[in-house]
Amino acid sequence: MKRIMTRSLAIWFVTIAFLAGIILLGVRVILYHNQWVQQPFNGHIASAGGLGKAGKIYDRDGNVLAYSENGERYYSDDQTTREALLHVVGDESLNISTAVQSMYNNSLSGYNFLIGVAVPDSLRPNGDLKLTVDSDSCRAAYTALGGHKGACVVYNYKTGEVLCDVSTPTYDPANRPVITEENEKEYDGVYLDNVVSSTFTPGSVFKIVTAAAAIENIPDIDSRTFTCNGELEGFGETIRCADGEVHGEQSFSQAFANSCNCAFAEIANLIGEEKLKETAEKMGFNSDRFRMSDIPIAKSHYDATGQGSNALAWSGIGQHEDLANPLHMAMICSAVANGGTATSPYLLQDTGNLLEKLGIHTNKAGNVEMMSPSTASRLQTLMRGAAENYAYGYGVSIAGLNFCAKTGTAEVGEDKAPTSWFVGYTEDEAHPYAFAAVVVEGGYGVEAATPVIDAAISALAY
Amino acid sequence: MSLQVVLDVASIALRVLMPIYALVIVYQCFASARRHRRPEKPLVTLEIMETGQQIPVLFWENSIGRSKGSDIRVSDPSVSRDHCVLLRRKEGWFVSDIGSKHGTFVNGAKTQGRAPVMLDDVITVGSTNFVLKRGDEYQEKLRPSWFFSKASNKGSLKPYKLMILITFFHLFMAVEACFSNELQDAVPMMVFGAMELIMWAFFCISSYALNRVNFELEALACFLSGLGIMMMVRQQGGPHMAMVQTIAMTAGMIVFAILVKFLENPDRADRWRLWIMIGSIALLGVNLIFGVVKNGANNWLSIGGVSMQPSEFVKIAFIFAGAAALDRLQTMKNFILFTAFSAACVLALVIMGDFGTALIFFCTFILTACMRSGDFRTAALLVILPIVGAVSAVILVLGLSKKVDRFAYIASRFSGWRHVWEHTQDNGGFQQVRVMTYMVSGGLVGVGVGNGCLKYVGESESDLVFGMIAEEMGLVVAFIIPAAIIALAFYARAITTRSRSSFYSISACCAAGLLVIQSMLHIFGITDILPLTGVTLPFLSAGGSSMISCWGLLAFIKAADERTYAAKRRPVAPKNALREQGVRL
Repeated sequence: MKRIMTRSLAIWFVTIAFLAGIILLGVRVILYHNQWVQQPFNGHIASAGGLGKAGKIYDRDGNVLAYSENGERYYSDDQTTREALLHVVGDESLNISTAVQSMYNNSLSGYNFLIGVAVPDSLRPNGDLKLTVDSDSCRAAYTALGGHKGACVVYNYKTGEVLCDVSTPTYDPANRPVITEENEKEYDGVYLDNVVSSTFTPGSVFKIVTAAAAIENIPDIDSRTFTCNGELEGFGETIRCADGEVHGEQSFSQAFANSCNCAFAEIANLIGEEKLKETAEKMGFNSDRFRMSDIPIAKSHYDATGQGSNALAWSGIGQHEDLANPLHMAMICSAVANGGTATSPYLLQDTGNLLEKLGIHTNKAGNVEMMSPSTASRLQTLMRGAAENYAYGYGVSIAGLNFCAKTGTAEVGEDKAPTSWFVGYTEDEAHPYAFAAVVVEGGYGVEAATPVIDAAISALAY
Repeated sequence: MSLQVVLDVASIALRVLMPIYALVIVYQCFASARRHRRPEKPLVTLEIMETGQQIPVLFWENSIGRSKGSDIRVSDPSVSRDHCVLLRRKEGWFVSDIGSKHGTFVNGAKTQGRAPVMLDDVITVGSTNFVLKRGDEYQEKLRPSWFFSKASNKGSLKPYKLMILITFFHLFMAVEACFSNELQDAVPMMVFGAMELIMWAFFCISSYALNRVNFELEALACFLSGLGIMMMVRQQGGPHMAMVQTIAMTAGMIVFAILVKFLENPDRADRWRLWIMIGSIALLGVNLIFGVVKNGANNWLSIGGVSMQPSEFVKIAFIFAGAAALDRLQTMKNFILFTAFSAACVLALVIMGDFGTALIFFCTFILTACMRSGDFRTAALLVILPIVGAVSAVILVLGLSKKVDRFAYIASRFSGWRHVWEHTQDNGGFQQVRVMTYMVSGGLVGVGVGNGCLKYVGESESDLVFGMIAEEMGLVVAFIIPAAIIALAFYARAITTRSRSSFYSISACCAAGLLVIQSMLHIFGITDILPLTGVTLPFLSAGGSSMISCWGLLAFIKAADERTYAAKRRPVAPKNALREQGVRL
């Protein structure tokens, strides 16, 4: 019997395997219940994308962006507002996975893990959500984008509130288009919110990162001079400055203000591939940890290691394989404005639920240290210098506020117009905004992207 | 505050209380099972004549020999590794030689078969002489089992009170079903009435006619079966299916009672084993020839309008075939017969296309082989060989899948495994994703009986019932079910320390193991942790044959509990009377 007793412990192994599986199932249920319940075939929530009884969505001023009535979902009365905010609010198709109606479908539809979907109407919580965005600003930015593909984001770098989040191309959620083979070009990438989900070649805006690496790694960078002949052949492929300009002999800060490609190609090689990558990664490149509320922000890419000095030179001026996400670039600017620490952006205002009353804010991520305070202060000076150049040289104005910024004009291919960038922040107690705008095939950054930011911030400031 | 709000609050309160209530019931079933156990004392004592050393005899069957695993170890070269077995039966103590080289002697006479041993008789094994003494003569304390509470603990919940608790749980389910969203009528109440009548009749017969002291296992089975039946009322099968299920439960209870009676004598199984095996193989053979194909598997038999799954009944026979008393366990003939029988069963099931049941049989065979075989090496071999066989079989099936339709179906299900969300509209994941979506739709407390959506998916009452319970009764109740089955397995292992024969130890553990494996394949199959095999959940799935076989399997666990066959009120015999009776201990 003793032997059988010992052998009978085999049943414990079987049972413990069963128990382990049950625990695994329990963990999966807890982790994934929101995804599992949100299925188009779910009979409990099948009407109007599960939003037939969903709560209202408000902007920061209390304007209703979406609401439900008699099992149908309705949006703002104004078509421009609907189109400008499509990627923030979403539609019933739930195709825009980062939109609030997709991400927060369950809290909108009143599903909760305790009592499931079967909440009697009389006891159903209203499920309303209030967003941080300003619909006037979004509308202004959308209009200023003027039909170009692109993105515009403005957020408060002191609090993290996202005020403007516009992505184009877009469509009217109240009148969803049928996308066919004929019109699919027009709607290319329409389900992506370019602000959070896309990355673009950064061009000269990447010089902020190269400059930070130079400040940290080349002690005598300020006493050095760089001579620009309009083009540079030293590393292989010819690097030219924009518009055939010749900058002559210039200091580091002049080179930044001039956005001199020849100087920065040289600086990138002075820094070295490892150091430049290290700085870029500290500033959040190659990382997908950033979130806007719970919405994941696409990973920006930088890596030129082991590919020689030509690749390093191009990567230092934001070409090569560099890719940057607009919101991530705005976060870098917020770090410059805040003395090195980037504020994490958020989209959902406090809902006043129990956790928030206890001081646990689930919608706000912590801040991210991206550079030392001294580097930040040096970058502030550089970006202010660049901004003065734009203001006096090109008449750029951002709602009449003081600002620090950098433009970019990224080459994306021989037969395509360049991608325009404008990133930076305003220096104003009442209006502390970090911003980034991208206009695909927009031409020169200083011409195409600056009006978008001006429009968005003007709508906020006045 | 309208009436609607009051009603809504009441319905939510009921839904929140039900899971807590279910937890209390399952807890009480096992809390009760842990009590009423006789204190740890040796049954008899063996005294070595030469040295006066006392050896406690703890089990009803004890192996004596030179090997390490023997219960009573004699390190003497003239003793065989497995020499003889000292066993207790209703009639008294016996010693049975199991093929030793030099034989076993009682009072100097060489034994043949089972030889009775009285108090103060001398058993000679090799050069050692043992004298049989009373258990009381052993003075040292023995370590109690962790599972059972101490004998002095306060009394547990009376069985009838447990039954009242369970009845009310089913009543609440019936009330909920009466007010379901789609249909409001009193039919669930009628099903409830019929079902409870049968359960209480079973309870009365068990406690008063059969004089059984304990009722926890039956109560647990009643709770689970009733939960399943009350769920059925509002599913696609409607009240008809619930009534069929109730009738099956009644049949199951009868099978249970007959089996418990039949198993009272562990040696009876030995005489019947061969016939049971032949009968089972014949049944599967008839099934193969006259079977009806349902859902891709040819495992149904229709006789006079009643269709059944013979493979479910063969499960009971399978447990029978695997277990034996200690002195007959390790004979070669016994073992070869069992292995051949298992192989025939698994083969028949594979030909039928019932891979789920084949897998259950296969796993149970490994468990049984591990428990019953002699030394460690044979056990290891017996576990490894079939696994190698199974792996090559899987490779063969995948290879054949291109040629044979039935195997192609299996392969398509396998391909969806771990990728079910990419197969929401085809065979690879249609059922699994719906189970997962709907099981969380109900949240912790469920959407209420009859308000689920999973019922519109085919085979939901049988193959997907776990998801259905999770949706309608909530995740808490759903998770209580595996918890109860896990507790049942631990209970089966714990009672085997006191089983009256190795037959019970093996059969109880294997029956519990079979239930665990089946639950595992069911729950993990539909939630994409394992590939979907389409097996039923014990006691809860729709299916008469399955219900009957589960009650039958439970009988093995019941029989293994030493307390089962104890008379209700045992008259206290004077100590001296025992001594005079000699054999009657």
